[in-house]
This record gives sequence, C-alpha cells and structure tokens, in this order.
Amino acid sequence: MSDAVATTLVGVFGITGSLLMLFSALAMFRVRDALSRINVFSPATGLGMPLIVAAVYVYDIHTEGFSWSSLLMAAVAVLCLIIVSSVASNTLSRASVLSGQPVFRKTAPNRLARPPEGVVDEDPDSLESSA
Amino acid sequence: MMRVIHGITYLAYIGWAIVTGSLTIVTRLFRPGQYAHPMIVEVPLRCVTDLEVTLFASSITITPGTLVAAIAAGTSTQPPVFFVHALFEDSEEAALEGLYDMESRLLAMTRGRAPSSPAAPLAEVEQEEERP
Repeated sequence: MSDAVATTLVGVFGITGSLLMLFSALAMFRVRDALSRINVFSPATGLGMPLIVAAVYVYDIHTEGFSWSSLLMAAVAVLCLIIVSSVASNTLSRASVLSGQPVFRKTAPNRLARPPEGVVDEDPDSLESSA
Repeated sequence: MMRVIHGITYLAYIGWAIVTGSLTIVTRLFRPGQYAHPMIVEVPLRCVTDLEVTLFASSITITPGTLVAAIAAGTSTQPPVFFVHALFEDSEEAALEGLYDMESRLLAMTRGRAPSSPAAPLAEVEQEEERP
C-alpha cells in the first residue's frame, strides 16, 4: 500500500471517528433527559469507536505488513465494541427507568406512563394507598 | 443455507441503519429548532425465544435514535413487549413500522424464512392522554 493511500485512509477513519465522538457529546447537550442522552450517544460507540479501530488497523497494515493475528484482533475488537455498547446501553436505560429518573415532559406518546388496563398501580410511598 | 444469506443481509441492514442513524443525529445538530421528538412506544413482539428477543433488543439499541427502555416478559396469553424510546420518528406508526421491518428481517435470519403472519397490531390503541 502506498504512503498516500495509507495516510489518507488512516486520516479519514480516525478523524471521522473522533468527530462522531465529539458530535455525540454535543448532541447530549441538546436533549433533556437521561434516556435521550443514552440514546444519542450510540453513534460514538456504534460507529465512532469501530472507525478508530479501523484507522489503527490500516496503520498497522502499513507499518508492519498484513498478518492474520492483527486482522483477528481488529475484527474481535469491532464486534466486542458493538455488542458491549449495545448491552451496556440496554442496562443503562433499564436502570434509568427502574430508578425513576424523570422523563422529558414532551415525550409523547409515553407508553410507560400508565399501568396496563386493569392493573391497580399503588404508590408504596403514598400514605393513603392502604386506605 | 438461506439462514446464512439472511444473516449476511441482516448484518448489512444493521450496519446501514447505524450509519444513517448516526448521520441523522449529527446533521440535526446543525439545524435550528427542536432537536428531537422523543417518544416511548409499545412494541408487542413476534420474537419467541430468548435468543430472538435478545438479538432484537440489542439491534434496536445499537441503532442510533432508538433505545429499548423496558422489556415486559411474555405470558401464556400475551407476547413479550418492548418499550422503545425513539428520538427522530415522525409518528408512533412510523416508529412501529421501522421496528417491525427490522424484526421481520431478524426472524428471517433465525428461522430461515420471514414470518407469514403480519405484525401484530396494538391490542388496544389507547386514546391520546391529555396532559395536566
């Protein structure tokens, strides 16, 4: 691989990945509640970090030459990033819902706001609930 | 054999969804006005096994703009239900349509062919609640 191609690819992947991280962080300031903040951060973990891994892999090919072990490492790293970040986002969102974090008031429709039909939802903290 | 083909197309579909979703989040940053229309929609599932439910939840969450906020386990009479937090959808129907499209592709991968039954309609569409 020629110098120019390698440098361009590393630059494009690395800078795009870094910019995605930056823009995801900025997007977190534009939304108002915990769920949305977890939501808008997925470009960083789902695309930004794999792109940075791709940049490192291209750099590795260019300097050290092709090897199956580094290809395997890069593939496993990308797969793990995607799977782990997805499971982590699920866990964070469940934790935020179950711990009663407030949801942005303009969230509409909000199907979590009411109990299903026929279910009496008593607030354990309320004093009159047992009356 | 069909499963492998469906699996590859599903991976490509998820990759494409990640790219377009990321672009949406980034381009919306530079647009004035309201950034997002958050909503939490209720999605009754056609997925049955733990593997299908887990894969579907992970696929939804890894797609930028949608996030699984809660999962209700299925009973003998009711399917499992996801509560999905969506940021950039125009309406509840559009959000559900996109999610069911993804589910059909996923079931085509795990079962070898797409499910014949159409997406389950919402059991009862509650009237839009008015806020105090």
